[in-house]
Amino acid sequence: MADAGTAPVPSAPAPASDDVLRVEHIAKRFGPVTALQDVSLHLKKGEVLGLLGDNGAGKSTLIKIISGFQKPDSGRMFLDGQPYEPKSVDDARAKGIDTVYQDLALIDELSVYHNMFLRRERVLRPVPLLNNREMKREARRALDSIGINIPRIDVAVARLSGGQRQAIAVARTVNSASDIILLDEPLAAMGVKEGAQILDLVARLKEEGNVSIIMILHNYVQVFEACDRVNMIQEGRIALDKPTSETSVEEITNIVVDEYRRAREEEHANNAHGEHEPPSAEPPQQS
Amino acid sequence: MAGVAQESGRGPSPGQEGPAGLRRSLPTGRQVLQRLLSLREGSIIVVTIVAAVYFAINTSTFLTGANFKTLLPYFAPLAILGAGEVFVMILGEIDLSIGAMYMFAPIVFYKLDTAGLGLVPSVILALVVCTAVGAINGAFVSILGVSSFVTTLGMLFTFEGLSLIISHGTPVATPGAQVHQTTAQVHHIVNGHDIVLPEKINHIGTFAKIFGGGVYSELIWAVVIVILLQVVLTFTRWGLYTVAIGSNKIGAAEAGVKVRLVTIRNFVLCAVLAGLVGIFEAVRSQTIQPDPSGPNKILLLAIAAAVIGGTLLAGGSGTVVGALIGALFLGILEDGLILQGVNANYLLFYTGIAIVVAMTANVYVGRARRGHSSG
Ligand SMILES: Nc1ncnc2c1ncn2[C@@H]1O[C@H](COP(=O)(O)OP(=O)(O)OP(=O)(O)O)[C@@H](O)[C@H]1O
Ligand SMILES: [Mg+2]
Repeated sequence: MADAGTAPVPSAPAPASDDVLRVEHIAKRFGPVTALQDVSLHLKKGEVLGLLGDNGAGKSTLIKIISGFQKPDSGRMFLDGQPYEPKSVDDARAKGIDTVYQDLALIDELSVYHNMFLRRERVLRPVPLLNNREMKREARRALDSIGINIPRIDVAVARLSGGQRQAIAVARTVNSASDIILLDEPLAAMGVKEGAQILDLVARLKEEGNVSIIMILHNYVQVFEACDRVNMIQEGRIALDKPTSETSVEEITNIVVDEYRRAREEEHANNAHGEHEPPSAEPPQQS
Repeated sequence: MAGVAQESGRGPSPGQEGPAGLRRSLPTGRQVLQRLLSLREGSIIVVTIVAAVYFAINTSTFLTGANFKTLLPYFAPLAILGAGEVFVMILGEIDLSIGAMYMFAPIVFYKLDTAGLGLVPSVILALVVCTAVGAINGAFVSILGVSSFVTTLGMLFTFEGLSLIISHGTPVATPGAQVHQTTAQVHHIVNGHDIVLPEKINHIGTFAKIFGGGVYSELIWAVVIVILLQVVLTFTRWGLYTVAIGSNKIGAAEAGVKVRLVTIRNFVLCAVLAGLVGIFEAVRSQTIQPDPSGPNKILLLAIAAAVIGGTLLAGGSGTVVGALIGALFLGILEDGLILQGVNANYLLFYTGIAIVVAMTANVYVGRARRGHSSG
């Protein structure tokens, strides 16, 4: 499958001084599964980069590596030109990178405001008790500024709807005053209106110009609405890297469909090859 | 919401509502009950009160100061052990090795004291040993990924075995717990005559008074530890992370919670408290008994106290105060049944049924709370 060509796609761009993040030749395997083969990408200051790819393409894996949650098998990363090897999520956060994970990383049993301040708790001095009042107030303000309706912030997040939960995860990260924000499918569970609200929020952050964003999306229309540039991951590599102004929904769709056709033909060829064997067994089906 | 909560509350409480018979005051009674049941510890508070009222009515001696004192040594150690166990159980883990720490710590304490280290340093070092065992438990669970049931079961047998080996299975007198008796001449006025009679007075040392020998010493320890740990659980980051890990381990890790550190810390807490209680009990009973049957029973009772008190075995939720009330319930039950003259052979049987009833009530109330919350 992956042995079609060993030469990596030369997607690593020429060094540019305005890159806040550079990822070079990242590889990551999970036992027999190669999630990322050789991924290189870069992110400019103030840019919104859309990351596309099929299910299982390795998008979330890449996000988790940048966020410090997982270690790459090989490859290097640079933050503002300096080598960047996050030792932990906390470490990455301290260096200005914060993440909305695909699974949202919310704690059902904890209240909305405790979730919003998880690992950034406000505590009293000198006895480090939780300053719940301040966290409530700040959480309320942060949610209101996003404009998403969460009626009560002192209830457990288990009691919220899928979209509300997602809004809280996004608000938590946006509120963190980070330099780089990674959003893994931030709109997946959102209604049309709430999705638009989040995209508005992204646009607002972009206008302010301090934050750079990598956002994973499956909806191409939203990609063209919100992103400056798209990268597509295929077979563990970046197969496409273009500004949204220079590409179109058709081009991206064609890349995906072509890849799908090619994979099917390959499969057919393999099956045809297999038919020289006794035809008693059904060809193995992958569903 | 209220309907479900009431139904589950009605089970244990008909005795309260029935004799009251006051139609007009009934709604407030219900409101109180509802308020109570909406607490995490609600059902066990109700069940405990019902049990206490039952034994107070049916025995003449239950509501006496003397009986309270016999109740203490039964419930105070359980409350402390349960408090530690709650911290592990909220993580979604379990610590069976507390029985071994309970048995092992006094023996280490004895060995160190007889080696000439002194009482308090020996206690501290014994607890350091417990810390190490707790850290190993936590490391196996959180770093190597071995199930906590298996890890701590292995530790239970290992350290109970080690206790037998080190002590040669021979009971010894607990250092620092000796009782000195003096005879005092006490004056009594009987029918206007002054009579002087000799009376024996027991003296125990300060060490023993503090470490479990004093009548209320274990109670004071239990109350202080429970309050402290409840504050830690509810109002500190440590408690927040404990709940977070038990509720969503991966999510907590993604958010940056140091899952291994917190897990190890909670296992250490649990082991140290178990060692401390073991020393208290050795001082109180004045002997160190190298016999695993007692520790094994108290280990299971401590877990029962935590679960009865509303801590979920599945993790993510629990209270320290609940474990204390659970321990109180178990104490009242055993004490009350004995006072009632229940045949000793039936004691365990009734205790078992009562535990199942109390836990079932808990599950229903928990469901009612949750149904209410998601509805
Ligand atoms: N922790 C893990 N252990 C084993 N395999 C993993 C792990 N995480 C990811 N994988 C595998 O790596 C591949 C890439 O997964 P990843 O979650 O990065 O995909 P994705 O592009 O985010 O997909 P989706 O669009 O469905 O979210 C998949 O085949 C997945 O099964
Ligand atoms: Mg994904």
